[in-house]
Amino acid sequence: MFQGFPEIKEALISNQMQAGFMVAPMAIALRAQGVPVKIVYLGHRYGSAVTVRKDGPVKKFADLKGKTIAIPSRFSDERLILFRALAVNGMKPEDIRMVEMAPPDVAGALAAGAIDAFSMGEPYPSQAEMAGFGRVLFHAREYWPDYISCVLVVRQDIIEKRPEAVQVLVDGIARSGLWLENPPKRLARREHAADFVGRFYFRQDPRLLKWALTKPVERVQYQPLTPLRKDFELIVRLMRETGVLDRDIAFEEYIEPRFAEGAKTQTEWAYEPGDAVAQ
Amino acid sequence: MTPTRKIVLSVIAWVAIITAAHMATNVDWSVVLNDRLPESERKLNVAYIPVT
Repeated sequence: MFQGFPEIKEALISNQMQAGFMVAPMAIALRAQGVPVKIVYLGHRYGSAVTVRKDGPVKKFADLKGKTIAIPSRFSDERLILFRALAVNGMKPEDIRMVEMAPPDVAGALAAGAIDAFSMGEPYPSQAEMAGFGRVLFHAREYWPDYISCVLVVRQDIIEKRPEAVQVLVDGIARSGLWLENPPKRLARREHAADFVGRFYFRQDPRLLKWALTKPVERVQYQPLTPLRKDFELIVRLMRETGVLDRDIAFEEYIEPRFAEGAKTQTEWAYEPGDAVAQ
Repeated sequence: MTPTRKIVLSVIAWVAIITAAHMATNVDWSVVLNDRLPESERKLNVAYIPVT
């Protein structure tokens, strides 16, 4: 487990890690800079929000004028969503000040008054809400209907030498997504997932993940996870417009679609809360 | 057993116990063993941060 996206980037480049979840613009920028990695799947859809202090002066987006907003990286969808919101509200990029901050630090910074808002993925908006000092100003989908953030990136040498291992990884994510999104069982399964992911993977209070995954259940979605051309071409366009990508890059250059295609026939895990193993 | 010998053996035992406790607590042996496997058999290391 890492604490920030720049560290994941370095670990991928150095081959300490062969795959990783990172924000989509960072993966595209890495590929544009010649780093041999490709996006093979999405981690989730939605799940990012701009959060402000509940008792603060920011009641609507225009109130952010002159305020300091934390983002996870210059190369993040959480930054791009702010640009979209600025345009819709007739504001200019100079009207706000963005600062890069490691995701686990933002809720504390908002509580301490070091920042006025943050644009971040879950569970940090939930953390601020649950602690009682934060309020979601808007969820990303309000300005970006098909919003995506984290994607699964794999080193090119692994894609070439060990495609079967990559397919197993993608199949597992696809099956987990289907399992979490099964309509009649969605709530119970999300509560169960929050418990074991919180305790064994994220080292976070399971109540926090439960909040993020269930209030409401559409807050983060795990289907569909196939990388779509229209979604990524929008990200590339926004990156170009906001000055973090210095050339156009073709979809095929940074996406490897075969694993998502291979995962389309997968079914949800045969597992119910309380079972010993998933099959 | 001389006092000097007792002290030396105690120090060695203490260091051994602390070392064993450290290795049991702080070393992820599954990662160490995975890194020693042939590349074709290794599990992929997948990086993530605690966000959705």
